[in-house]
Amino acid sequence: MKIIGPDALVFGVDDIAAASQYLIDYGLQAVDAGPHGGRFEALDGTAIIVTRQDDPSLPAPLPTNAPLRKTIYGVADQATLDAIAAELSKDREVRRLDDGSLESVDDMGFALGFQITVRRPLDLPSERVNAPGDHARPVNDVGVDEDRVIIPRSLSHVVYFVPDAAKAETFYVERLGFRCTDRFIGTGPFLQPAGTLDHHTLFMIETPPFMLGCEHFTFHMGGPSEVLLAGTRFVNKGYESFWGPGRHKFGSNWFWYFNSPFGCHVEYDADMDLHDEEWEAREAPISADASQAFLFQYREKWIPGGDPQ
Amino acid sequence: METMNLIELCHLDEIAEGTSRGFDTSGRGRDTVFLVRQNGELFGYRNACPHYGTTPMAWRKDAYLSGDGSRIVCAAHGAQFDIATGECLQGACLGQSLTPVRLTITDDGRILLEQDAQ
Ligand code: FES
Ligand SMILES: [Fe+2]
Repeated sequence: MKIIGPDALVFGVDDIAAASQYLIDYGLQAVDAGPHGGRFEALDGTAIIVTRQDDPSLPAPLPTNAPLRKTIYGVADQATLDAIAAELSKDREVRRLDDGSLESVDDMGFALGFQITVRRPLDLPSERVNAPGDHARPVNDVGVDEDRVIIPRSLSHVVYFVPDAAKAETFYVERLGFRCTDRFIGTGPFLQPAGTLDHHTLFMIETPPFMLGCEHFTFHMGGPSEVLLAGTRFVNKGYESFWGPGRHKFGSNWFWYFNSPFGCHVEYDADMDLHDEEWEAREAPISADASQAFLFQYREKWIPGGDPQ
Repeated sequence: METMNLIELCHLDEIAEGTSRGFDTSGRGRDTVFLVRQNGELFGYRNACPHYGTTPMAWRKDAYLSGDGSRIVCAAHGAQFDIATGECLQGACLGQSLTPVRLTITDDGRILLEQDAQ
C-alpha cells in the first residue's frame, strides 16, 4: 500500500482569524482563505486546513473535542485507494466523498482521509554546507541571508496522544502497511508508511484517555538554518517557544516547537533520516537524554561587550 | 517575620475587560505570571501549566484565552481552565488547577503582585 504521508490536517477552531494569522506567520501560504477558514499550503501543496469547529462537513470530533478533526493521507494511485477501501471496509464504514477521496477512522477514533496525493514534486536544493573535504555550497554563494523568504516545504509528521499505543500501532502496521522505524518503550512507535523513506510521518504517545488528540504537527524546512531562522522570526512576532531548538536522536531531525491556537504544538523540522526496509528499528526507554542530542533555548540577540554606543 | 516583595505589574486601565496579559517578573524574557480580567474582576496565575508543571501557556504574547474569551486555554495541548478558579475543566490536566498569585490593587488602580521575599 503506497501511502506517502499526510497531505493535510484539518482543524476545527473557535477563532478563524487567529488560527489563520498564526499559520501565515509560521510561513504557510494562504489559498482560498477568509472568514470561513481556508487552506494554508507548504511549497509542495501539503497543507493545514482551517474550518469553524461547528462546520457540518467535518467528521465527528473525538470524545475529548480535540481541534484536530481529520488526517488526510496522500497515496500514490487509485489502486492504493481501492486497496485501502477494500481493507478498511472489512470492519468499519468507509465513505467515498464527492472529491473521490475516502473517509474512515482508525482504531483510536481519529478520522482519516485518503486521496491521490496532491504533493507536487520539489526540485529545490537543501541547505548546503561547506566543510574541508566536501564543499557542497557553490563558490560565492553566501550561506546567511537574513532576508530570505522561508516557506515550509512539506507536511512532515503528526503526533497523536493515544490511550493504547500497541493497539493503535497494530492498525497502522497490519491494515495500512506502515513500518515501525524506532520505538520509545512504554510510550509509542515512530511509524513510516510504505510510500516514503522519511523516518516517520506518524508518532504516538501513550497517555490517559482524556488526552486523546494531537500532540504536534510539523513541516520539513530546507535545513537547520531555516529551522533556526524561521523560529527566530516566529519568536520575534510574539509566538511562544515551547521546546527547542534542538536535534532529536531517533530520526535525527532538528526541531523547534511552539505553542499554538490548535490545541497542540506546531514544530519546524529539518534533515530527518531516511530509512528503507533494511533498517532495523531501535528501542529505548523515553527520557530527556533519549529524546534529543542537544537542546538550546532562544535568547535575545546579544554581543560580547555590548553594542557600541 | 514574613517579608514580602511587591512587584508592580500594570495599571487597571491597561488590562481591558475580557482580555489577558502576561508579565515577565523575573526579567528573563519569558512571562512568568498572567492576569485575566472578566466581569470586572481580576484573576492572576503563574504561567505554568499543571500538565507538564512549568511550561508556558500562551500561544502568542498575552494570548491566554479561548476564542470567545470564556476560558483560559493552555496552547500547548489545549487544556481549558475556569477563569475564576483556575481549575482544569477539559484536557490534559483534568482535575488539577493553575497556581493563583496574590494581587493587591492600590487605591489609584495599580496592580501589585505579592511575592514572598527569598
Ligand atoms: S502543557 Fe498545558 S495542556 Fe499540555
Ligand atoms: Fe516532531
